[in-house]
Amino acid sequence: MGFLDAPPIRKPMVSPFPKPGLDENDRILRTSLRLSSLVRGLFLLIATTAFCLFPAKAANDSGGNDSDPSESNDAPVAQWHFDGADALGTWQGSGHREDAGPRPPVYPGFAAGNRAAELSGKDAALVVPDTGTENLRFGLGDSITIESWVRVRSIRDGQQVYLVGKGRNRTKEFGERNQNYALRLKGSGGKALVGFLFSSLPLDGKPSGWHRWWSTDGFSPDEGWHHAAVTYTFGKADSVRGYIDGHEVKGVWDMDGATDRAPVSDADALVIGTGYRRSPEETLDGWLDDVAIYRRILSPETIGAHYAVIPAAPVVEAGVLPPGKVLMQICEQGVPEHAQWPAAPLAATESYEEKAFGFFDIPQKYISTGVRADRANPYLLRASALIDLPKGTHRLLLRGRGAARLYVDGKEVLKTPFPPRDTSGHGHVSAQDHYLNLGPDFRFVPPGNREAWCSFVSDGKPRPVILETIVGGLVGSDGRNVFRAELGETVVAWSPEGSPSWQLLSPGPDAIPYTDVDWGAYAAERREYLDGLNRTARAAKRAEHAGYWNGRRNAAHDWLASTPETPVPALPAGYPGLNEVDRFIGARIAGVVAANARAASANIDYFREVQPILEAKCYSCHQGGKVRGGLHLDGRASALRGGKDDGPALVPGKPEESPIYLRVQSSDPDEVMPPKDKGDSLSPAQIATLKRWIAEGAPWPEFRTRRFDFTPLADDLTFLRRVTLDTAGVVPSEREIRDFLAAASPDRRARVIDRLLEDPRWADHWMGYWQDVLAENPNILNPTLNNTGPFRWWLYESLRDNKPMDLFVTELLRMEGSPRFGGPAGFGVASQNDVPMAAKAIIVSSAFQGVEMKCARCHDSPANVSKQEDLFALAAMLNTKAITLPVTSSVPLDRIHQGGRKPLIEVTLKPGSSVGPKWPFERFLAENSGTPLAEHPDDPRDRLAALITAPANVRFAEVMVNRIWQRLMGRGIVEPVNDWEKGHASHPELLQWLAREFVRSGYDVKAIERLILNSHAYQRASDPTLSEPDPLLIAPARRRLEAEQIVDSLFSATGKPFRTEEVSLDIDGARTANDSISLGQPSRAWMLTSTSNERDRPSLTLPRIQAVSDVLEIFGWRGARPDASTIRETAPNVLQPAILSNGTMSGWLTRLSDDHGVTRLALENQPVESLVDRLFLRMLTRNPSPEERARYVSVLAKGYENRIIDTPATLEAPSGTRVREHYVSWSNHLDAEATIVRHQQEIDARRGDLPTTRLDADWRERLEDVLWALLNSPDWAFTR
Amino acid sequence: MTVSSMSRRRFLQSAAALAAAPCLNRLSHAADGLTTAPIRGKAEHCIFIWLGGGMAQIDTFDPKKRGNPKSTPKEAGSDYAAIDTVVPGVRFTEHLARTAQVADRLTVVRTVNHHVIDEHAFATNLVHTGRLISGSVIYPSIGSVISHERGAANPEVPAYMLIGLPNVSRGPGFLGAKHGYVYLVDTASGPAGFSRPEWVDSNRAARRQELLQPLLEQAPAGTGVADYEQAQSEALRLAGPGFMRHFKLDEEPASLRQSYGGEFGQRCLLARRLVQAGVRFIEVSHNLNFINGTGWDTHNAGQLNQHVLIRELDNALSALILDLESKQILDETLIVVGTEFGRPAAFDGGGGRGHQGTAFSLVLAGGGLRHRGVYGVTDELAKMPLENPVSIPDFHATVYATLGVDPSRSLLNGGRPVPITDGGKPVGALFS
Repeated sequence: MGFLDAPPIRKPMVSPFPKPGLDENDRILRTSLRLSSLVRGLFLLIATTAFCLFPAKAANDSGGNDSDPSESNDAPVAQWHFDGADALGTWQGSGHREDAGPRPPVYPGFAAGNRAAELSGKDAALVVPDTGTENLRFGLGDSITIESWVRVRSIRDGQQVYLVGKGRNRTKEFGERNQNYALRLKGSGGKALVGFLFSSLPLDGKPSGWHRWWSTDGFSPDEGWHHAAVTYTFGKADSVRGYIDGHEVKGVWDMDGATDRAPVSDADALVIGTGYRRSPEETLDGWLDDVAIYRRILSPETIGAHYAVIPAAPVVEAGVLPPGKVLMQICEQGVPEHAQWPAAPLAATESYEEKAFGFFDIPQKYISTGVRADRANPYLLRASALIDLPKGTHRLLLRGRGAARLYVDGKEVLKTPFPPRDTSGHGHVSAQDHYLNLGPDFRFVPPGNREAWCSFVSDGKPRPVILETIVGGLVGSDGRNVFRAELGETVVAWSPEGSPSWQLLSPGPDAIPYTDVDWGAYAAERREYLDGLNRTARAAKRAEHAGYWNGRRNAAHDWLASTPETPVPALPAGYPGLNEVDRFIGARIAGVVAANARAASANIDYFREVQPILEAKCYSCHQGGKVRGGLHLDGRASALRGGKDDGPALVPGKPEESPIYLRVQSSDPDEVMPPKDKGDSLSPAQIATLKRWIAEGAPWPEFRTRRFDFTPLADDLTFLRRVTLDTAGVVPSEREIRDFLAAASPDRRARVIDRLLEDPRWADHWMGYWQDVLAENPNILNPTLNNTGPFRWWLYESLRDNKPMDLFVTELLRMEGSPRFGGPAGFGVASQNDVPMAAKAIIVSSAFQGVEMKCARCHDSPANVSKQEDLFALAAMLNTKAITLPVTSSVPLDRIHQGGRKPLIEVTLKPGSSVGPKWPFERFLAENSGTPLAEHPDDPRDRLAALITAPANVRFAEVMVNRIWQRLMGRGIVEPVNDWEKGHASHPELLQWLAREFVRSGYDVKAIERLILNSHAYQRASDPTLSEPDPLLIAPARRRLEAEQIVDSLFSATGKPFRTEEVSLDIDGARTANDSISLGQPSRAWMLTSTSNERDRPSLTLPRIQAVSDVLEIFGWRGARPDASTIRETAPNVLQPAILSNGTMSGWLTRLSDDHGVTRLALENQPVESLVDRLFLRMLTRNPSPEERARYVSVLAKGYENRIIDTPATLEAPSGTRVREHYVSWSNHLDAEATIVRHQQEIDARRGDLPTTRLDADWRERLEDVLWALLNSPDWAFTR
Repeated sequence: MTVSSMSRRRFLQSAAALAAAPCLNRLSHAADGLTTAPIRGKAEHCIFIWLGGGMAQIDTFDPKKRGNPKSTPKEAGSDYAAIDTVVPGVRFTEHLARTAQVADRLTVVRTVNHHVIDEHAFATNLVHTGRLISGSVIYPSIGSVISHERGAANPEVPAYMLIGLPNVSRGPGFLGAKHGYVYLVDTASGPAGFSRPEWVDSNRAARRQELLQPLLEQAPAGTGVADYEQAQSEALRLAGPGFMRHFKLDEEPASLRQSYGGEFGQRCLLARRLVQAGVRFIEVSHNLNFINGTGWDTHNAGQLNQHVLIRELDNALSALILDLESKQILDETLIVVGTEFGRPAAFDGGGGRGHQGTAFSLVLAGGGLRHRGVYGVTDELAKMPLENPVSIPDFHATVYATLGVDPSRSLLNGGRPVPITDGGKPVGALFS
């Protein structure tokens, strides 16, 4: 122990940070030189012949002494080294001893045998009396710096331990309100925060205050040593600064807050290691070294330099390296959050294997039942392998988005820096002019990556190679805002001696070329591999919860056994039927046929003439669960029953006595219907129609059916196109068509249905639907109102795994996992919304219970039974605690009462009311009967999930099967599917039966789809004269294709690759995860989202995505989904055929570039007739008629034999002129050059890829025109 | 872009007032200069010029004392000198010299105000739709509403066209895709969906139609397929020479083209041709950000070349007014200059300007209004309205009224009536 007036000069200050003006290469060399003498024991040390050559500039660097001589001029007033030397002060209490302190090589500021004080968290205290010899007292205007090295073994959340404090020793003389000053640590969220504390002198009658400052962020207690420091000038409230490991950290004053008052300054003792109680609660459990107090403010640079660390080289035991593979280790604990390498090698928290040193992603982390979660940010990724390179001098390349370092044989040979992160948008495009170009087919560095290379001499023996990279990182020092943990393209590649080309460094036998084309293929292959790992990981997580979910299955079967089955009716004679579904449908039709036969026919056509009037003018108030004036106009019986004000609305045969007629033609503003503010009055023609209808007896048939003759089964190819669109979301490929037609078995339709239900594309096809219904609304730019996280990735994985719907709903409502990167926690987000959970409750009730609560957001619904309190009770369940209704979510009363009429809406819930979690749908299931099913009944979210998905809540299963039914059949058994108060089941027994089958199947969507798809009703030929689906299902109508089906099918049918920009405006990762996300490289339409160009900045456009989005939006897709929707607009408009005829995307699809599927088809050796037939199969899933064939053959026959050009002109640019294309990202979008780059990209997008030169131009153009015609057939807008 | 908690809170309050609006009309409260009397203007067309980023009113249409972004400390105020206009007492900055000469054909509404400043997307949406973004309804843009209410003046052409980038704020919202825009991103590209790719000449286009014929169905009337096929022939017609000739700017005299100026001017000229063709509403975006790096969002160094943007606007706007006048269609064509907010008199650290919603200028020209050069008075640094404040709904109501659309009428979103404006009242003084 030593207590010194002047610091010893024995510890040179060594900075790991470069001096200004040194470039990156200097940094690498300096560090590696040092490492070469320090590194030890990674693998068995092999006398090495491998070394690295650096560029000449670096070789000139002296690598000189970094010690900072200025330090000795400003000595600490007191310093403790704990290394056995004499000291002022006496140890008291127990649990302290000397132990090894921070030592080189990792801590080069200390001597080799340096020692420290270990405290075991009991009551040890080094008490230093204030004799007045040293100037340890600080008064108003004095500046202080306190610093300490500390290594924490453990600290509990909330625990506050003293590193050093003066005063507050509870002595008789000084009492305890005399904390002169103290440097402390506090446990918080698993971390140790740094704190400063002092008591102020009483002033102006105000008593002494406690002024306590804590950093808002801390360091993780781990194996390493940390450095904590605080500087402060007494009397200057805002002068406090805190530092951890040499970096400033933000913090806040609490207790009596910041003050300009003077501190207590007295002769009380100074204590190191514990606080005034001398109790374990206040005593450090860990190690201390080099505690120092200065009478001045040390600069940030000086404090930064005090934390001198040379990170240890990574270690991997040779024995654990898998032969021929790369061992991948993910380290999530102990990674410094700021731009620095960990002092000590980190232990792996997870491992897997890779094929080569080429990485763009790592396995996903899953929690709970297999829900996407975030890894620690930042995390460290380590890749290690035994690499066998031939003897020679090769080149070596390192790339990464995060900082990366590469070790061969334990020696650092290459390093890339921590990324510069300037989020202002004022970067320059010209900064991209500097990049490596190391060969004729060298892959240029992708945006946001940094790179380094060197020459490398191999002795031909296998060498261990380790790559480490730190991924992600914290922003600033004040919170949890992080950079996205993206790998970019983290790669080690090598170029063999004498070769101009590069390949990925790989322990395996195969060379993997590292070029643009090969990287694409490699990445696709590894993506599949990672997907496999992820699937396995999800399955394992789900298996962990099998116990509970099996219990749920049993409960469902018990419920089925305890409730009566729905009898399946017999198929009426002469009715077509393939399965039970058809028997229900047949029986229903037979019933209606019999009823219609009894009904007398009137002249007026109710459905054509009357119903449209009722729908347009009456139904918004007089249909469904809640109606105005108690009057339902859902059917004849309810109209005759009438409402509160007028009695029966109709007197059949007597219009002049029928209120419905009298009201619509009234001129009294208090009587007329519809009320003035609900829409225009009826036209004279409409009034006349109603009058005639009533005069004719007001016939009101249940169904609109013009005929009762069934259409036959659709032909095979029509069926195949329809069913493939309805499952895979795309038209069948030529191969799928041929396989289907070749299958002779009589059950080939059933087989193809089975195959398609197992097709991974089945998940894609459901994506857009759930994105709409659940209002998935991510924003690639700054979040705005009702933006959610991109929980699309959880959705997709759930569908891929065919999760039972009860589990699906439970995971959704639990809102666990990653909020910003695809977990269901992202569903829980509604940015800028004053009550996010109310928005979610609206979605949940409509999606899964068929209850529309939208209006209840601000007032009781005028058209639905739900009150505002119901919605907020549901929202409180999602919120897990009571919600206070904000003023901002209520309609002011003065805005409601404004006319003579009774207001349309009511507000029964007052702003400021608190609404607790309560199940609002007792009418479906009693709260106490569903709750026991919950896995965690104490958690309101779990309770809600159980209540919704309990088998006894029949409504859930019915709503689900109705949604499936609507999607496949074109209309729901109950309409509208999202709001059941408005309609009645057309087939109540079928609905009930399907719902029970759904429960029986284990809530398996595919099981219900299988039933429907195998029915005759589904497979019947469509009736081309129908404008909408026939409610009795006598024949299907042609259905509109969904936007995603059109786009995905067009790409898949033509074989043109779906190639757009990455869905991101921050492709170089310069912005934080809160501001910008990436939705990756899309391969299906659902992966797109709004390009968010409300800023109207040309440099923020994504022209290729825009070209595809244009098509999608015109066909009803929404890029932004602030609210939920189930049914999209289907009315045709002029923009739809226009965008298919002349849009940019259609240009790509109808121009035969080299990578176009039809180009390949045209190059095949076959008769021209075959080419035409195959085009029809691919595009329209049918054979051409003889006339069509003749017509297209006649166009293509001319010059057909000579269509192929033997020696195509090369389109490749001459070697040596390749340049890396400029890119635009948020980081540089305000540069004028960025607009120019984007403009060129826009022109390029519009032009598309150049046509192939392998086909004769004139013939090619004719084929393109044929293709264009096929693409503009209405078959791309409607099913058959 | 910093979010002040104050503005955020105020935003939420007003957001809720609006979020609650769909089911109701606002109580009427006549403010000074605003009128509740029914007004039916006679304008037939609207050219809506959009200055994305937030035009600094104090550097353009509402000049105040000179400031200095380069002195230390920086001095708040206009960055340019003020000049007289042809309307006595009305002054613009020196870079609006040409517009100053036609100030009697326009009215600068200097007291437009709202509370959304922290986010361009929000404010852009507000000025386009007249409403704050709602969590439960996507409101239609003013172009879509006018297209919905009035249709195209000539049924042979689209009702609503956009020369600029597509986005949600400009879209049809709950009115549906039918009331969306046909857009082109610059005058050279032609409208998306209606201009054929450059490699398809008229011969190929004809061959394509011929090859398509066998695949068309002549579906029974009243069915979706029939409607679609009808739309298809309509689209074909629009892609034909009749409509496409309106995009041939080289038909215009060279001197006239020159008077309009660069690409933005050419967009305005194209807008005039589209008016003549019968398009009801044309939005023209002035998003040529590369001129000063930031466009109208003149933070920091964006201020340095702001005058180039202003002069572009000056050229094009004055040329458009005079051109419409010479074609005798100025009275039937309302020109609106819109922007999402204004900018404060004070300069930021980089010598540019931040955002200001408390008072900013929007411009109305032509349209048969009784113009007066300016309407409304702001304080000494153009920060707050002093006389005749005009809310965004009021401004929208004025535009609607000018085009003969009743601003208090309701549109139906499903079953919910949504008033066209949120209680907006037209500026009565502009209607004689």
